[in-house]
Amino acid sequence: MRMAGMRRDGRDGRRNGGETRDDTVTRMKAHVEAEERNDDLATGSFPQVGRAGNGKRSLAGSGLRAKLLSSTLVVLMCALLGFGYMTQINNTQSTYETLSEDELVRLINETSNQAQLLEQRKNELSSQLSSLKAAADQREQAEKIAKQNEETSGIISGRLPAQGEGVVITITRGTKQNIDAASLFTLIEELRNAGAEVISVGDVRVVTSTSITADADGNLICDGVTLDTPYMIRAIGNPADLQNAVNIAGGIGSRLKVMYGSRVTVTQSDDVTIDAVRDPATYKYAKAAQ
Amino acid sequence: MAAVLGLIIGVVIGVFVQPDIPVWVQPYLPIMVVAALDALLGAARAYFERRFSDRVFIISFFANVITATLLVLLGNQLGVGSQLQTAVIVVLGIRIFSNVSAIRRFIFRS
Repeated sequence: MRMAGMRRDGRDGRRNGGETRDDTVTRMKAHVEAEERNDDLATGSFPQVGRAGNGKRSLAGSGLRAKLLSSTLVVLMCALLGFGYMTQINNTQSTYETLSEDELVRLINETSNQAQLLEQRKNELSSQLSSLKAAADQREQAEKIAKQNEETSGIISGRLPAQGEGVVITITRGTKQNIDAASLFTLIEELRNAGAEVISVGDVRVVTSTSITADADGNLICDGVTLDTPYMIRAIGNPADLQNAVNIAGGIGSRLKVMYGSRVTVTQSDDVTIDAVRDPATYKYAKAAQ
Repeated sequence: MAAVLGLIIGVVIGVFVQPDIPVWVQPYLPIMVVAALDALLGAARAYFERRFSDRVFIISFFANVITATLLVLLGNQLGVGSQLQTAVIVVLGIRIFSNVSAIRRFIFRS
């Protein structure tokens, strides 16, 4: 780069031709001064070499084009400088090369602390996640069981209509005497023993609390509903077993025939539909034991 | 004027582009920037001395940058990279200071 003591060209060079001798002397003096400075050994001094040429020299002579070209080049290089500067600034923020050892140690400590914290947090979250998953599984299981229970208990308690193969039993009015409640109840018990799952008498669904009574006229009353003859008893279960249970020798069927003189018909069917339902009982005293 | 314009353009581009500079350039980029800055200040000083020459500017710009880079490269190969880097920075800093003081003298005439 150019250093101090070079001012001789720019301004002085414009003098007229008449002062050429003075100019030469001035130039020589400056040269000697520069030489002396070059020999200076003080710190921060730099050798200065006078330029051989005529001072100002442009890239392509003079003129508008040359000016444009040089301006463009200067713009380009300054842009290069600015670009490099900004790039370096952006880069310095992400490199640790310029940091001191202490800072680096602190940074490492901070980072490892943070990593530990994050690890801890991750463990917490994953345990939470697994417990939530387990809870969801349990819930699903419980829902499944509850659904099964609902169906089963709905059928048992008479809340739901039922359908399936079974038998339809018709019992006509007794010719010798009216059929008493105990006999009909025995019939129902026999059917239950034979594996009947759902039973209905007339339009009444038989549940655990079903009772059969007789009023003063000898009419049978089942759960408050007076039964009309012929009594229609539907039962869902294994048809053959149910039929056997009624028609077995010395069983309830023959007893009804012999003692009461009624006609008992047992019809097997593949599709016995029991539409009679019963509202679920509300229990006043009993509670489910946990 | 052109220099200021170019600087602004370069800074704006640098702000918006933000390129990923290659790893092998990273140690040399700050040196390059400082060297270019020195060249720029030298040119400013020459401008105030009314003997600015674009040719000299361009040549000194690249010579500065390349010399500084080569010096640091050499230092890296010899195992004294950081020291030589410091040396280059110190020298360039001194030059920048002397250039600035010359410019100051031209501006304030004192």
